[in-house]
Formats: sequence, structure tokens, C-alpha cells
Amino acid sequence: MYKYDHIDQTLVDQRVAQFRDQVARRLDGSLAEEEFRPLRLQNGLYHQRHAYMLRVAIPYGLFNSKQLRTMALIAEKYDRGYGHFTTRQNIQYNWVTLEDTPDILAELAKVEMHAIQTSGNCIRNITSDAFAGVAGDEYVDPRPICELLRQWSTLHPEFAHLPRKFKFAINGAKEDRTILLCHDVGIELKKNTNGELIADIYAGGGMGRTPILGSLIKTGLPWQLLPSYLTALLRVYNRFGRRDNLYKARIKILVKALSPEEFARQVEGEWLFNKDSDVNFTQAEWDRVAKHFTKPAYLSLAKLSDQQVINTASEAERASFARWLERNVKPHQVPGYASVILSLKPHGSVAPGDATIAQMLAIADLADQYSFGELRATHEQNLVLADVEQSKLYELWQEAKKQKVALPNIGLLTDIIACPGGDFCSLANAKSLPIAKAIQERFDDLDYLFDLGDISLNISGCINSCGHHHVGNIGVLGVDKDGEEWYQITLGGEQGNDAAIGKVIGPSFYADEIPDVMTNIINTYVAQRNDDEPFIETYRRLGVTTFKEAAYKNAKKKEKAETAGDAS
Amino acid sequence: MSLTTNIIAAHDHVLHFPKDGKPSLAPNEWLIWSSSQDEGGLPDLEHGKKKVLVPFTWWINHHHEADIQAKAKNGQIGVWFAADDDTLKHADLVEQGKQIWPLVAAHFPIFRDGRSFSTAALLRDRFQWTGEIRAIGDVLIDQLLQGARVGFDSFALRPDQKTDVALKQFDLFTVTTQNSWRSKRSLLATNKE
Repeated sequence: MYKYDHIDQTLVDQRVAQFRDQVARRLDGSLAEEEFRPLRLQNGLYHQRHAYMLRVAIPYGLFNSKQLRTMALIAEKYDRGYGHFTTRQNIQYNWVTLEDTPDILAELAKVEMHAIQTSGNCIRNITSDAFAGVAGDEYVDPRPICELLRQWSTLHPEFAHLPRKFKFAINGAKEDRTILLCHDVGIELKKNTNGELIADIYAGGGMGRTPILGSLIKTGLPWQLLPSYLTALLRVYNRFGRRDNLYKARIKILVKALSPEEFARQVEGEWLFNKDSDVNFTQAEWDRVAKHFTKPAYLSLAKLSDQQVINTASEAERASFARWLERNVKPHQVPGYASVILSLKPHGSVAPGDATIAQMLAIADLADQYSFGELRATHEQNLVLADVEQSKLYELWQEAKKQKVALPNIGLLTDIIACPGGDFCSLANAKSLPIAKAIQERFDDLDYLFDLGDISLNISGCINSCGHHHVGNIGVLGVDKDGEEWYQITLGGEQGNDAAIGKVIGPSFYADEIPDVMTNIINTYVAQRNDDEPFIETYRRLGVTTFKEAAYKNAKKKEKAETAGDAS
Repeated sequence: MSLTTNIIAAHDHVLHFPKDGKPSLAPNEWLIWSSSQDEGGLPDLEHGKKKVLVPFTWWINHHHEADIQAKAKNGQIGVWFAADDDTLKHADLVEQGKQIWPLVAAHFPIFRDGRSFSTAALLRDRFQWTGEIRAIGDVLIDQLLQGARVGFDSFALRPDQKTDVALKQFDLFTVTTQNSWRSKRSLLATNKE
């Protein structure tokens, strides 16, 4: 993975010193809270319901065992013994103090980490495919471009106070694992017929109050020109994005208002003036970064068949080992290797994405032992050991079970994506964690879950959509109605190449109705599916009505009519 | 400080930070006229401050007047761009203005509104303006570094800002990872061919 040089390290160290001074001025009263707020947000520090929350960047999801040990250390020294992996490849600490933050950032800087631009109205931490560099379906390893753009966007002065937050996702594989079309800018990397690296640019996607899929505004952009093109794009947004209404300030509203064609035309017009300038990337810069993303020292191994791998387990354990292999182990580019997803979604015990100090330390050891010391964080809030020898999967599985990160529920109904919700977040309208817990408890039977197959269930505690409910096959959104917490259900959302925004099925439910509603929806699927048809296909075939009728079958109480669909 | 509401408040001292120079303070000689009640006309330049920054929208309507042209050429009138002024839409006027304006300014209605960062970048990149660009309005200590990098070289801080703290902002970082008006990114600056 990428290793900081003198420039990177100096920048991060000086950023810590700058923030230390800003915090000191806040504490001595010379900086007002209102004026400090954007400064702390641009360094990942939120003020939440109970305490400050610090969001630390895991750029494009890649990190190493040493960094994970530091994450554990911070959880121990400054927090309450755990960290929370988010839906955007960050880790959050929910209980830090303002006074401690500069010291935490200094600890992070020692292991080449930071919290720069993990919040605020600026270019956020760039996300990518958690299987970058190892996925079997990859056209282009996106990590060099991710790193080049991380550096380009870090402390970019012109775009420090955009109308609203700005999120990049970068994909280089056939299957999209980045929710590319739900980002302010989605960069799809490919090779042209001459074998040169080019990018297609999508703009104006996003979730939130107005979910929209991004529009293709540029094709075949040579990789070197990304900085000039993105400068033009962001400049148009910075100048003309709405600033009068928080809910209409994202780039998607501008792109929609202008039309994608007109937006693209304005960007081209601006780009003409700097497309040949030395803001662009050079081959030397590529080489400097790309040398860190070479393949690790893979052994020359024979590819094992599924059955051969299963047979490495003791006979008594083969059935459950096979189940884990099927759900949590993914194919790899290199023969004899596989990628393993460690599930941070135990049933009903902790928040999706939480890891304790003990787990973090143990997982760091597993990374060292089985995967060249590297890890990845997925936007589904799980962790990946990307380079595991197939012959060691059984051993790893046994170790992972001890840490309770081996539940074979990846991609299943209980692999719930959820934001921290009203238990922590001061933006939330409703709690999301108890809903996740209740659903996991209701659907605790692994045989049944396994039979149901791929279903994504995403929960957001408010319309900001951090829990990505819009792209869940089943989405749950917390809404506030006259001070009460209600939950709106959407169906039909999907991430990936067939990305779709889910549809609201109707009036909201009370929290305690949600498990029954889920049961009704799932029973309908089971009754109606053809053979191995996944949930999303059954839904598409039947349409919303069948599921809607089932969902409201025993609804306790009619919610007031005005609620459905507050997306506008 | 003027008693009229037509004036945008600014610190008594302006912070100058020329490209390739060092930051320093100098007395603020410029009145920043907001022209919010247009009927009043230009402020009195005979008494008190003798130089005035006028809004670009006012300049659009009054730049033909001989008296205004004369005062601009005499170094007494500069213009300031509001955050929503579209310099590109009025490119001809900006090009003409480049010949006579002693300085230009860009306004921050509130510190967290970054539009004027792009205004300054456009003036430097596209209009090739080499004269002074001053940040005015809600200009706070923690915007100085960003402002200096996009193209501002003087800052009319909000009156309550501490100039000693402000002066220290510009050398917080010795490296950068993207080009700016002041310098190439560190990698290009150190690996010159």
C-alpha cells in the first residue's frame, strides 16, 4: 500500500499543528463556536448528542495492521473501547473530547493517518472498491488514481468552502462495488483500445433528500488530465451551486437544474483554459505512487477447487465452513489465493460496523499472519483480508470465529448497513441501531437466511442517508413526526451495475412494527419466488403492490397521510 | 469607521501578503462602499478616506462617467466583486478595468462561502490579473491561507480579528500537494527538471 514520503508526512504533521492551534483558540474563547465549527468539521470532528465524534479517514478503504493497532490504541486511550467502521471507508470514535483531539491526530499521523476532510463542505475522503488490486473482474487497479486524487484534493484551497459536501468514488472493475452513481462525482477507470488508462466521469449523483443517479458527462478522459478537468467541474459547482438552501446545495441539484448536457458544456468551457496546464498529473507522479501498489510476494500455488478447500476442514465442521466459504470468501486474481470478508455484523449484539479493541488487535494479527499485513474496509461496514492462501482459509476461519467476526452473513438480510442514528448522531430523526438489532434478532436462523440468499437491508436514521437506505433492496428510513420516531420503508433499491433508487411503499411504521413488516415482506418473497430467484428480481417481476399489501397486512395504526415520500 | 450603513466594515489595518513576499500590516486607506442605497452616490473622497472600492454592479452602470474614469485612473477607485457577480459574463468590462483599476477585491458575505476563492482564481488564471486582489467582508484568520493560495494578496480582515495571530498563518505549511497561484505542488517544485 501507499507509503508517505517526506511531503505527505510533513503535510499531515503540520495539519495537526494547525488544528492544535485552532482548538487552543476555541478553548480560550478567541474563536467562536460558530466559526470553529467548519474548521473542526474539515478535520472530522462533529459535536454529537453526547460528546464529540472523530471521523478518521481510511483513504479508499486500504490500511495496514500497524494502523489498525493505532486505531485500537485510540479506542482504548481516548474512547470507550471500540471504533465504528462507517459506510464511507472511515472509522469513527463516538466519545472523544475536544481537548484530546489534537493528541489523537498526532497519534494517527505517526502511522500515516489523518482526519482531513472527512466532513465539512469540501472534497471528502475518496472511496473505492474494497477489492481493488485483487478482484477477479478488475479492468484497472484504481488505487494509484485514488492516491493521486487524495493528494490533489488534500487542503485544496479553492474548494475548501463548497456549497455542500462533495464525495468522489472511483471504480476500475466490471462490477461496481462503490455505489459509483450515488456520488457527487463517480470516476470509472478503464483502458482504451490502445491500452491507455482513461476515465469516464459521472456527476450529480447522490442520496440524501433527493436521491439521483449520476449522469455521464465525460468519456475517455486521459488519466493525466483528471486534475484540470475536476478543477473545472468543481469550479462550476463552487460558483453556481445553490447556497440559499442547505437541502438544495449538492451538485446533483445544479446538474438537474441545468441538465447534465448543459452542466457538461459549462465544465468543458471552463476546462479549455487549463486543460494543458501543469496542474495535470505527470508520469513521474504516477510512478511515485504506483510503485506502492505492486503485487505482494504471492507464492506460486495451485488453485484449489471449492471441494478441496472444504476438505481442509474436519468432517464435523465442513457444512458450516462451506457456508462461510460461500458467503464470506471471494475469488482472487491469483491462483491459490482468496479474499476473506470478516463480518462486523453479529446478530443483535453490537452496532453494524463496530469493532472492539480486542477484535481490532486480533484482526491486526490475522492480517499479519494471513494477508501481508494489509486490510480493507468495505462501505458495507465489514473488513477484508484480501490476500489469503486458500489452503489457510480453514485455519483463518477458526481464528475469526474466536473473535466473533466469522458469521457467514455477507450479503444476507442481517448484513445490515446502518448509520449510528439517533443513539449518537445529532442530525438523526430516529434511532437506527435498535431497528437493526431487532431485525437481526428476528432473522437469527442461519439456515433460513442462507436460503433467502442475497438481500441488502440498509437503515438510515435520517434523510441524510448515511445508511444508504435508498440503494438497499429493502430500505428503512427514520423520520420524525410530531416528536415521534417513525420508519418509512423503501423497496427495490440496488447498488452495483444495476444501481436503482428504492421506492417508498407508503406511510411509515412504528419501530416495534418493523420486525413484523420485514417478516411479511420476506414471506411474500419466499412464497412468490421462482427457483433461485433473488429477492430483487422477484420484486422487479411482481412490482411494489404485492409487497406493499403484505407489509401493511397488520399495521397497527395509520400514520397521517402527508408522510409518504418527503423526497422533493 | 463610517456612520453610514453603506460601508462594509474592515479592520483598521490591511494585511498584505505579496506573491514571493512576506506578510505585513499597513493602515487601511480604502473605504469599502456597498452602494446599498444607490441614490447617495459615491462617498465624499475629499474628507476622510480618499480611496474607495465600489461594487462591480455599480461600476457596470457608472464606468462611462468621466469623473469615475478619472478617479479610477488617479488610483482612487477600485472595484469589488460580490460573491454572486459573474466575472466571466462581464469579461469585456473586466478586461477594460484591468487597464485602470488600482486594485480589485472579492467579498465574503460569510466566511464559509467559498465563491470568492473561485473569483480570485479566475482573475489570476483566466484574466491574468497581476495587480492586487483584496479579500473583504467576513474575512477571518482561518481563511487567510486558502485565500493567499487562490490569488488574494491582501486581506481586509473583519475588525475583531487579531492581526498578530493572522500574521502567523502563512507559514503553517511548508509543503503542498496541488498547484496554487503562489507555488507549484512540492513535488514539482523540488523535482525540477
